[in-house]
Amino acid sequence: MIHLPKNETKLMVAVHGWSGILLGLVLYAVILTGTAAVFAEEIGIWSAGHVSTNSAFERPIGQTVERLGQQTPSKYHEGVDLFEVGDHELGAFFHRHETNADGTFVSRGIYYQVDRTGRVIDRQAGTGEEVFGPRNDDALSHFLVDTHVRLHIPNPWGLLLTGILGLAMLVAAISGLMIHRHLFKDIFTLRRRANPVLFNRDRHSVAGTWSLPFAFILAFTGSFFSFFGTVGVPIVAMAAFGGDVQALNDTVFGNPGKPDPRPVATSGLDRITSDAIRRTGEIPTFITVENFGRADAKVTTFHPPEEGGVVPISLLYAGADGRFEQVKPLIGAKPSAGGTLAAIMSPLHFGNFAGLLSKAVWFGLGFAMCYVTLTGLRLWVVRRASEARSLGWLDRLVTIVGLGLPFALLCTAAAFFLTASSGQALFWTPAGFLIASAAVILGGFLMRDREKFGLMLEGATGLLLLGLPLLRLFIDGPGWGEAISAGQPIIAAVDCALLLAGGWVIARFASQWTQGQSGQSAVLEAAE
Amino acid sequence: MTMLTFAATAASVAFILLLALGDPKRRRAAGLSDGHGRGKRYLYVLGAVLPGLPIALTGDAAMWLIWFGGCAVAGWLTALWLAKPVARVRNGKG
Repeated sequence: MIHLPKNETKLMVAVHGWSGILLGLVLYAVILTGTAAVFAEEIGIWSAGHVSTNSAFERPIGQTVERLGQQTPSKYHEGVDLFEVGDHELGAFFHRHETNADGTFVSRGIYYQVDRTGRVIDRQAGTGEEVFGPRNDDALSHFLVDTHVRLHIPNPWGLLLTGILGLAMLVAAISGLMIHRHLFKDIFTLRRRANPVLFNRDRHSVAGTWSLPFAFILAFTGSFFSFFGTVGVPIVAMAAFGGDVQALNDTVFGNPGKPDPRPVATSGLDRITSDAIRRTGEIPTFITVENFGRADAKVTTFHPPEEGGVVPISLLYAGADGRFEQVKPLIGAKPSAGGTLAAIMSPLHFGNFAGLLSKAVWFGLGFAMCYVTLTGLRLWVVRRASEARSLGWLDRLVTIVGLGLPFALLCTAAAFFLTASSGQALFWTPAGFLIASAAVILGGFLMRDREKFGLMLEGATGLLLLGLPLLRLFIDGPGWGEAISAGQPIIAAVDCALLLAGGWVIARFASQWTQGQSGQSAVLEAAE
Repeated sequence: MTMLTFAATAASVAFILLLALGDPKRRRAAGLSDGHGRGKRYLYVLGAVLPGLPIALTGDAAMWLIWFGGCAVAGWLTALWLAKPVARVRNGKG
């Protein structure tokens, strides 16, 4: 494809190898959890056994929100976030924006969780980060997303690390494109009788070539999300708004208009939700109210992309009477190329622009990228196997992380199921992951035969995949009949996916085990 | 529109499979007889790419991305499937 001079190719190979090897194992963890997190919403429904399909925004919520407003100090009426929580219950966060003593910009206020009857079942005061933490029923999906987004490292360091990982992936993708001379010629070539270097090189380059365009997209959009709040916003605020993040937010994302602080009830919410659903054909995923209870209140509804599009839709309404004002761009008050580009970052990264179909494709692409990362690491190790025997530990580490991480994630799900009913999932979900990881690391360094260790991990992973649906039923999760009759097919679909994946992994394990045994017998016979 | 996307993806995947089956380098590496000539391969490439055109012409970006991503995943799986006898890890013992 691209023919570089020999020296530049050598340099690119070094850039490609080192960008991968330095951060490869952590990058693999981020990609693997991101691949699973494509279905975070479905995993949340499946793990919590939520069978309801009726959105909170399809029910009347106006009176409830007005009542909550009356119970909330008016200093927190600056903004209200409305969203779904739990089994299609309503979450409302009345807040104001503040800058902490350490200079961090936060939303502080009162969070309510309201059940279907309008009863408040949870009330918390604090910052957005404090009140939006994981709950007992979503501990598993929350754990997956948090691992992917920031590897459980506190902000901003976790986001900075995942942003750097995204950049490393981008560098690896670009340098990979430049060093691969026969990109299309080799696209189907997987030499099964080749030496370990060629064998691993083929596996790496074939998967890398097929997923290359999406590696660019996912790495770029992932870095964008990581750096947006941690680097982008503070820099722009400092350069153009004297460090005032609130002023930046008002200018870039806010709704310009003359302030009118007269007290007027924000009473048009039900009219707004039904009108927004009628206009877009989609139920809102999120609603924000600016200046709640004032004459200049504005309500913005956020929706998934319309059929055929990838740009999420936002509609702007007057809060006092529920009058529709305009389709709101993500950035600024008028549509712009920048606003559209910023708006498509999310669907392109999460693959959620066309429901389960697009998510399934994005899951497949994520899986291919996990494979690229792991085979790349393996290639780097086998290439140097003859030069440096001391790299044995890295080879072992690749097996421990490569096969151990999926195993540990499945153990996390098992820990969630075993403890959710007693209300202890918040502690045991991450604890399950840590215990399983420690066991894998210990086993990986104690077992002499790395291949056998890898095979055992594969077998255990297959058993867990097959066992999780049974465990879910065992702890009184809804059965397929119950879920499907309630109009919720996700639970049965996730169970089926796990059973199919488990069957495939066990079949692979059995075939490799048989080959291993026959290989051993052949060696013994030869020795005799 | 979803049906058109399924049909277009199936058509593209069929051509990708034909391309893979007759890929000269893959066949040489597997010790098989000669693969397709250049003309035939270009024709198959065209056959794999063309089904994306009607989707692009409708302006449905979501379905076009699904077609493109679906073809990428299917292409990779096809390559893996055709090299299926590989079952053992060949990295030496650790």
